[in-house]
Amino acid sequence: MLKRLIEIVGKENFTDQLEELVPYSYDASINVHRPDAAVWPESTEQVSEIVKFANEHKTPLIPRGAGTSLSGGAVPIQGGIIIDLSKMNRILEISIENRYAKVQAGVVCDDLNRALAKSGFIFPPDPASSSVSTIGGNVATNAGGIKGAKYGTTRDYVLGLQVVLPTGEIMQTGAYTMKCVSGYDLSKLFVGSEGTLGVITEVTLKINPIPRHAMTAVATFARLEDAGKAISQTMMSGVLPSVMEILDKVTLKSIKENTDIDLPDAEAMILTETDGYTWQEVEAQMEVVLNIFNQNHPISIKTAKDEKDRLDLWKARKSAYATLARASHSFVLDDVTVPVSRISDLLLGIQEISRKHGMLIATYGHAGDGNLHPQILYDEYDPNQVELMEKVEEEIFDLAISLKGTLSGEHGIGLSKANYMSLEHDPVEMALMRKIKRVLDPNNIMNPGKRALDK
Amino acid sequence: MINHLQLDDNRRKAITQCSRCGFCRAVCPIFDLTKRPITNARGKMILLKEVMDGKLPVTEAVAQALLRCTTCMNCTTNCPSGADPQEVIKAMRKELVGIGYDNLFRAMGEIVEKYGNIYGEQERQDWGHRKGKAPYVLFLGCVGTYREQESVAETIRLLDLLKVDFTMIEEVCCSGVLEDVGYQVKKGLAQHNIQEFQKTGAKTLITTCPYCYRVFKEHPAYRDLGLEVKHITQFLKDFDFEVKTEKRVTYHDPCDLGRHAGIYDEPRAIIRKIAPNFVEPRRTRENAMCCGAGGGFRGAFPKDSVKIARNRLSQIIEETGAEVLLTECPSCLHNFRNARRRQNIEIYNITEFLARLYEEGLANKKEAA
Repeated sequence: MLKRLIEIVGKENFTDQLEELVPYSYDASINVHRPDAAVWPESTEQVSEIVKFANEHKTPLIPRGAGTSLSGGAVPIQGGIIIDLSKMNRILEISIENRYAKVQAGVVCDDLNRALAKSGFIFPPDPASSSVSTIGGNVATNAGGIKGAKYGTTRDYVLGLQVVLPTGEIMQTGAYTMKCVSGYDLSKLFVGSEGTLGVITEVTLKINPIPRHAMTAVATFARLEDAGKAISQTMMSGVLPSVMEILDKVTLKSIKENTDIDLPDAEAMILTETDGYTWQEVEAQMEVVLNIFNQNHPISIKTAKDEKDRLDLWKARKSAYATLARASHSFVLDDVTVPVSRISDLLLGIQEISRKHGMLIATYGHAGDGNLHPQILYDEYDPNQVELMEKVEEEIFDLAISLKGTLSGEHGIGLSKANYMSLEHDPVEMALMRKIKRVLDPNNIMNPGKRALDK
Repeated sequence: MINHLQLDDNRRKAITQCSRCGFCRAVCPIFDLTKRPITNARGKMILLKEVMDGKLPVTEAVAQALLRCTTCMNCTTNCPSGADPQEVIKAMRKELVGIGYDNLFRAMGEIVEKYGNIYGEQERQDWGHRKGKAPYVLFLGCVGTYREQESVAETIRLLDLLKVDFTMIEEVCCSGVLEDVGYQVKKGLAQHNIQEFQKTGAKTLITTCPYCYRVFKEHPAYRDLGLEVKHITQFLKDFDFEVKTEKRVTYHDPCDLGRHAGIYDEPRAIIRKIAPNFVEPRRTRENAMCCGAGGGFRGAFPKDSVKIARNRLSQIIEETGAEVLLTECPSCLHNFRNARRRQNIEIYNITEFLARLYEEGLANKKEAA
């Protein structure tokens, strides 16, 4: 194995040293397994040669970007070769007049946006990890973020891909145009495929102009139901906020206890933003949102127009993860998603699960698109706690599905949710997914063991 | 050799504080260069967690991995989980030395002890400045004294031009860096410096090196120093300077002065007085990228260290279009100067640049006369 891989990528781009492989055994989830080797290809041709080699030897191949996945998607659960795309990090083309950017898979999300910002443009999906996440990883997990309700997720921006198929052939999908119905939409098949169908090496993305103005508001509520109503009524009002975040009382309490941020005792906080081309447009939209908030018995409402006040209002939301990560060194961060009108039901249900099992769960997330992040705090060194955490997680998945929701809004299935796929997908759909996987990857080399695909 | 570690609860807590989010990838100067996960903070915290949990034996490769850190602290500053990887790494370097994994800095410690400097140099330049008693005493540190002599000469000239009544001592290495690479401060050297300082009768100790500044301020070996310690930018921030430059000037925050000591405003206060065309790099102050010289990294991995400096230099030039890069740290200065190839930028310590401006002013006056 060693010799051929070194021939392909060079000695400096190969490792099978145990200590170097240890960090590749993890992502940001709780899953762990050692790979056998790792390579850093520098071109699509090298990727193709690596894939051919792996296919020939039926060796698992796990494409990896920044390894920030929260689902175990990047963990080599059956060993094999990690194919780290970090060195393929060139922005190939930015065409503002045609509204697209073409990049190699290893380009970091924020680096692309910095380059686009020079022309006043942006690739809108903004996962929390955008300072490190790679575009290839964003595509492979269909990364979302805070602005999903108005601006969608990565899927909505992928115009075309270059993919190395599990047989080593190089395929170009899609077009450089805003519209394209020429053939099956194979690009979208690879969006969110979590490395199970091939290695994404280049991505052509639609880009948007950066909205010139934004206004921010924060409201707190004494009853979760009121916060839920405020959200659904806003989404029905004709105004589409660019941000609609919610934080539950456990999250708020943790922030209050661990920072100097001044917060009222509340069941929920909503952070919202409207954006647009002119101030009038932004303010008019915010007026509608604030009216709705006012009709739903808020404890407090604050608004901000300038950058300093905006940052102040964002502070609580931005500190959620940080304060919770300090509260417990072990946690699981999920991303169940429900229809927007069921947000308060989901939150109340999670609180009930938390009460029942005596396990702390803080929930916050993107209420505007129904995507919440229950963060389950436990102790990984206590086997009872681990067992309980798994039970709690299962009940949260059951709850989300019973509310007509989904297991995953933006983190992906990976390993953590693989066992629950049949909760959401009927046998016919599961069978077709497995068939697609087999057609493309007959030797099951691409990121095997994930998403219940190789059963 | 022992291949496992016994760690106390505090140390265990510090290691488990990493939530493996990987956000340190964006700020680690070594990862930026190598793209190898073992080189960033998450990679090392994972290694240490496995060692702690008994899943991975301590090996020479683990010890080597821990040496690949400039202790620039950018990961700590930007860690969403509140972990302090550089502190953990420094502590674990000591633990590993403790169980027999000596590293190349053991030899450096012996050299420091024998010669009083990190380079094993036998001849120390006498700057021609007066010794003896004065209200202020200036301490230069090894890198300035032995590798950036011209810069030091200018700094001394500046203090003279500003009529600062200062003296200098027969200084030896503060030896603080040994603490960061697995070993201890040399108490004998510390005692020598303290005695020499006290002989001068000075009330204030001025350092040009931010690292020496920290050691004098923080290390228990210098507890009995009895002098107020100031970095030279703190000392000079309220001075009026009769010189100006029209050049486009930028500033690199040394990690030891900025993130480690919290001194951001003083150097800027000085620069703003003399350079109306001052422009900040994109990554600056708390988020400034490291030059690659710190934490023993330059000594252990000189080639990578210079490459990191070259990357930082290129980014600064690209982002600011500056004609002059200022800093106030002999190590940063030395690394940047070594890294410069065809890049069209002048690189100075602030104090050195000031002295040069004064000289230009004097030369122009002569010409006019």
